[in-house]
Amino acid sequence: MRRTDGELILFWTLPVLAIIWVSAFFLFPGFVHPMSPTMSAEEVAGFYRDETARIRYSMILFNWFGVGLIPVVILLAMQIRRMAHRTPILCYSLIACAGGPPTLFLIANMFWLLGSFRPERAPELTQLLNDLAWLTFTILVPYLIAQSLLLALAIYWDRQDRPVFKPWVAHFNLLIAAALAPAAFTALAYTGPIAWDGLLSFWVKNIAIAVWIIVMGIVLGQTIRQQRAQDRVIA
Amino acid sequence: MSLPKMKTTEPLTMPDPPTGSRVSRLAWNFRHHPKRELWFAWWVMVIFYQLYGVLFFFVTRVQPPPSPAWDTPTVVRWFDDHDFGILAGFGVVFLVAGMCAPMNALLAYSMRRMSVSRLFAYSYLIIYSLAAVPGMLVMAIAMIVAALRPHRDPELIHWLYDFAFLSFSGTMGVFMIGSLVWMVAILLDKNRVFPKWFGYLSLCNALTEVVVAPAWIFHRGAFAWNGAIAWWINMVVFVLYTGVFIVLLRKMIQREDFRAGPLPALPDKGEAAHSDSVEAVR
Repeated sequence: MRRTDGELILFWTLPVLAIIWVSAFFLFPGFVHPMSPTMSAEEVAGFYRDETARIRYSMILFNWFGVGLIPVVILLAMQIRRMAHRTPILCYSLIACAGGPPTLFLIANMFWLLGSFRPERAPELTQLLNDLAWLTFTILVPYLIAQSLLLALAIYWDRQDRPVFKPWVAHFNLLIAAALAPAAFTALAYTGPIAWDGLLSFWVKNIAIAVWIIVMGIVLGQTIRQQRAQDRVIA
Repeated sequence: MSLPKMKTTEPLTMPDPPTGSRVSRLAWNFRHHPKRELWFAWWVMVIFYQLYGVLFFFVTRVQPPPSPAWDTPTVVRWFDDHDFGILAGFGVVFLVAGMCAPMNALLAYSMRRMSVSRLFAYSYLIIYSLAAVPGMLVMAIAMIVAALRPHRDPELIHWLYDFAFLSFSGTMGVFMIGSLVWMVAILLDKNRVFPKWFGYLSLCNALTEVVVAPAWIFHRGAFAWNGAIAWWINMVVFVLYTGVFIVLLRKMIQREDFRAGPLPALPDKGEAAHSDSVEAVR
């Protein structure tokens, strides 16, 4: 028998986390008008000197709550386990993806916090920390792409009378994977859509992540509710 | 109702694929083959290692590695020569690095099929999933940060160069402990999933991570990160080990009967050709 106690508690952490993530996003002064890779070392150092407090507080928030995404991916992995597959390969694959994005994000997060720890450091060093932070943050897509594609494949293979997720969820995940892909190439340009402050690498990528979290959160919520109703009928 | 709908007890009989074109057989196998999940993960593994070789040796040209003994101007010149390859090649690395997930899932599955505790499968899965971050992605990040601004202070470029190659070669424990977990599982296994000699080959792979430790200390010689021991011998062992486990995993999938006991031996060629549509996938 599947044990479900506490599943809903973890699920309902998601909207709370989403509010914290959005708040931290707006608190960080480098996101609303994303910092440009064309900024000189002096400009970058000046930014860290002027905005020290907001960089620190927003990044401390992200450091606390960034890993909150992992339980959501594991909830998805557990739904994959219920699908009409013969092996747990895709469930394992999703578990293998779960830790990747938060780990990379925490590395970026540390570089931002290091930059703001001694803003009076030589500008060249602050710029180096800032480059490390921004590039790590922008290229953290590999596991997000993989988990979207694997989830789509899992849904596609879930051929039973009442599939766990509806087919549109698979198509939605393919779309998200495509939206995340260009960010992998961000280091190729200082300006334009691929640059780390550009349309594709910043806006499309981050909006895709946000939309994925919202949509998959709702889908998961509905699935878990239906499942609990079924379990109650059986019990 | 909530139990997983895994048909693990059902005998493995499958209808033969349609005798159409190669493409239609491939499509049929992709949708209906009872071992589709295993073959999917296996093909991801084969394609990933091909890509890995092409990207690291020919596109980014960061392997075989340049020398840790170089002075700063030489390192800066090396980055100038490799600039576009690094930026574009590592872009592809970031795009495809998630392929590691199904690969590690397949390796974990091999341990799940053994007569050993699930402990091995889950430990291996987590160890190797985290391994990609310090062992590959941190290197890629350091490389693109260095290539992004060629006019940065040369000392900083030199530091990024060390960071990249040492994180790549010098990430040891995850691969060592991971290989040892797999080795112990293989040696204990009574289901004959892998031959025992492969367990000892895993030990060789684990030992390469021991002899690479001096790369953190020496700037030149056999133990430096580009040296005869820390790079060349290790690369030979790694390529051999990888090639061997790709073949052995293929055999495992062919032999898989989705039961709990020992894996059956591979049927004779004549019989296999009749029922095994796996050939049609290739």
